[in-house]
Amino acid sequence: MDLQSGPHGEYGRFEQILSQFLLKSLHIVLDSRVPSIRPRSGRGRLLSGAQSKKNDKWFSLALGDRPSALENLNFWHRNLMEPMVIDIILVQETQSDQDMYVSSGLGTVVETLIERWVVQCESGSPMGFHGDSSASHKKTYKKLIILLRSLYSTMRLLPAHRAFRKLCLSSKGCDFDIIYKVSSFSAPFSRAEEETMKQYGFVPVDAPQGRLSISVTYRESLSDFNLETSASFPPQIITDYVGSPATDPLRAFPSTDKGFCATSVPSRGMQSPSSIPFQRPHSWTGGLHRGAPLGRTLPLGGSPPAYPSSFGQYEAASSPSDNYRFQNNRHSNHHKATSFDDYQLSPPFSPSPSPSPSPSPPTYLSSGNPVQNCTRGESSPVSIPHPMLGRSPRYLSPNLSDPNRNSLPPLSPRSLKHDPSYQDSPSGIRSGRRSDLTRTGDPSPGITNYYFGQKVSRDSKDDSGRFSGLLSSSGSPRVGLSRSSSRFSFQDDLDDSDFSCPFIVDDVDTPETQARQNVDGNKASEFTSQTFGVGRKSQDAAVGALVHMLRTAPPLRQDSSCFSSRSLNPGLEGDAGTASGFFLPRKTSDALEELRVYKEVKDLLLSKSGARFVSKEDTTG
Amino acid sequence: MVAMGFDAGRRLVVGAWGGVGLEGDWTTAGWGEGVEVAGGILHTILFHRALGLVRPKDIDLELFEITYVQCGDTELEKKIDEKIEQFIDRVEKHPNKKNQVCLSFYEVKNKQPSWFTNKVERLHWEQWNINLNVAQHPKTHSGKSHHSKVLVDPGDSALEERSIRRAALETSLREVLFQIIKFVNEKKDHVPSIPNLEGVSFPYEITISSSSDSAFGMDMFKRMLQTGHPTMLS
Repeated sequence: MDLQSGPHGEYGRFEQILSQFLLKSLHIVLDSRVPSIRPRSGRGRLLSGAQSKKNDKWFSLALGDRPSALENLNFWHRNLMEPMVIDIILVQETQSDQDMYVSSGLGTVVETLIERWVVQCESGSPMGFHGDSSASHKKTYKKLIILLRSLYSTMRLLPAHRAFRKLCLSSKGCDFDIIYKVSSFSAPFSRAEEETMKQYGFVPVDAPQGRLSISVTYRESLSDFNLETSASFPPQIITDYVGSPATDPLRAFPSTDKGFCATSVPSRGMQSPSSIPFQRPHSWTGGLHRGAPLGRTLPLGGSPPAYPSSFGQYEAASSPSDNYRFQNNRHSNHHKATSFDDYQLSPPFSPSPSPSPSPSPPTYLSSGNPVQNCTRGESSPVSIPHPMLGRSPRYLSPNLSDPNRNSLPPLSPRSLKHDPSYQDSPSGIRSGRRSDLTRTGDPSPGITNYYFGQKVSRDSKDDSGRFSGLLSSSGSPRVGLSRSSSRFSFQDDLDDSDFSCPFIVDDVDTPETQARQNVDGNKASEFTSQTFGVGRKSQDAAVGALVHMLRTAPPLRQDSSCFSSRSLNPGLEGDAGTASGFFLPRKTSDALEELRVYKEVKDLLLSKSGARFVSKEDTTG
Repeated sequence: MVAMGFDAGRRLVVGAWGGVGLEGDWTTAGWGEGVEVAGGILHTILFHRALGLVRPKDIDLELFEITYVQCGDTELEKKIDEKIEQFIDRVEKHPNKKNQVCLSFYEVKNKQPSWFTNKVERLHWEQWNINLNVAQHPKTHSGKSHHSKVLVDPGDSALEERSIRRAALETSLREVLFQIIKFVNEKKDHVPSIPNLEGVSFPYEITISSSSDSAFGMDMFKRMLQTGHPTMLS
């Protein structure tokens, strides 16, 4: 800044200094308290234009681009001697005593003044007018530099700074916001406010034309507000969302879908987390951000479409024509209404111990949340009786850490029919002997990826939670395990007794299936496809076809793959309940015959593979 | 606790700061507290006296919920880090001494070169004396070197005690920073004119000194009185 030259006289020079001093003070205060005021470029180091760079050098304190709101402060030039009052207001939505979900987010918005900065130039200085005004200007300017440095440092030592940092650093939304109000007068505090506020004043700078001072009245403690961020709450799994097993008996497993969404939505829903603190408009758009992506996009990256429009509202609200009162959308009813409407979207994804979602979220979800629908569409209808589920944990435990996964039922053939690639899944089934469980844990990315893709397009009644649970885990390994486990359990039943198929056999291509029994795992997929084709008709038909195939299967070969290929039928997995029915019609002679066959195989395998067969024998019993 | 005044040479001297004692054995974060405190104080002072163009940088202390401001000058940061490291070494070598960090700003006055000297004269116009008392943890072996052992009983009580100490230290540090800001604003007339420089506008120096051996002896005597050495009680 050049103090030596200027288009005006001495007072003009001082006016220039004073004007820049007010702007710089306002810039410091807003930049240190209101995250949304920051330019989109972030911290604001990038300056646009030579004039911006020049302005930024005032008082030797480079802060970056001035917020756009400051550019509307032309009114300050009208009367620089009027004080500039900057109110920093904490906006927080308080919940009623009722359930927060029941209230649908329509809590009471509480605005609390936490800081009031007063920057002013009191006319009439005891110093009087000095002849050597240039030197006095230099001295004044130097002192103002120190004063503004002190202001900058003090902003970071006051209690409100912590709230500001929480707001900036929180990528998952906060339950509060900080807004500002700039005016030329200060409303008196209430007695209650006075009791909680403290005052601090910087040493004023005496200039020939007046005394420049900065003072602050600040709230000594913000602990009463319980300022927390969503990040402080761990994502919680809501198990009784609409469509969950808790609400639908057919859904046989507790879903991690909500957990998946709950974890992913906040992370993804933070809409370019790094930019939210700097882009967010002044108040409740933090809630907007949380809720917006629910219906917008899939995880990872949705930015709230409401944001740009709302930001536009704030720009309009910052018109200086409002009697010098600059408010950032705070008193905009429309904005508030919009905020609340959108804020309703946030509760289901804000962690809450309550198992009951609010009315708003279920409505929203059922109205077409693509995530929900897609996840829902991914898994097939679960008509697998519970006994099958009970067997699952045994086989799932090696690779599972989530208890929810243990109860994952295998996918029914009905879903599989839509999924050609899913026919590859029996790769896990093919090697589904107990000893091969670890191998079934081998990820089959194709399946997982497919399901994830299907998440968008499917639209069946399957439980999304199960699918999401699959994805949230190691993915296909669980699929393979669940399948193999259920198949294995059925295999156990078959081992025990002979049976005749009580089921309707629909379009069972027995010769084809028989021909494929001796092939390796790759061709077993075709076998599986056939099975799936059977399953199209009904699960019972598929079961019946499988039973028929097993009964007509050739004796076991020495090759272990042959042993597993015989029972390749995912549809059987869902047949735990019917498996029990197989025992009834079998004759003892059939069972004995089968036992003899197995003993022969056992002896053969023992001689070949030694201990491995012994382990199988123990399990196949 | 900071005192301030002008000495005979019209230098603003900020008195010793002895209100904060750092306690803790060397293996815990207590020593880290000292580093953060020293850095925070030095940078805060310099931020208010480096009147060239700066791009402020917020620094969040790790051990305290305090944010202070640096000038954003890498050279300055490097120099301060070196000085703090020297201070650490000094304290480690002389754990029972009172060590002081002195930050002073000066003007360079070219003396009229004479036959014997051609040096320039430094006219210090402001001096900050910062006393950092580092005390051994009472549970550790007193009088030992910096290789003192870990707490004998690092149970919950020790952790709680440490957290209490740290909270008190944080409060004290915040108060000190406020006082520094107050002082730098109260006395500004003595600050020289700002040269056309960026960042650190005025030359400065940071010196580290320790209390004399006589003072060390007095400290030992006081410690003996406090701990009730058998020889003293008899």
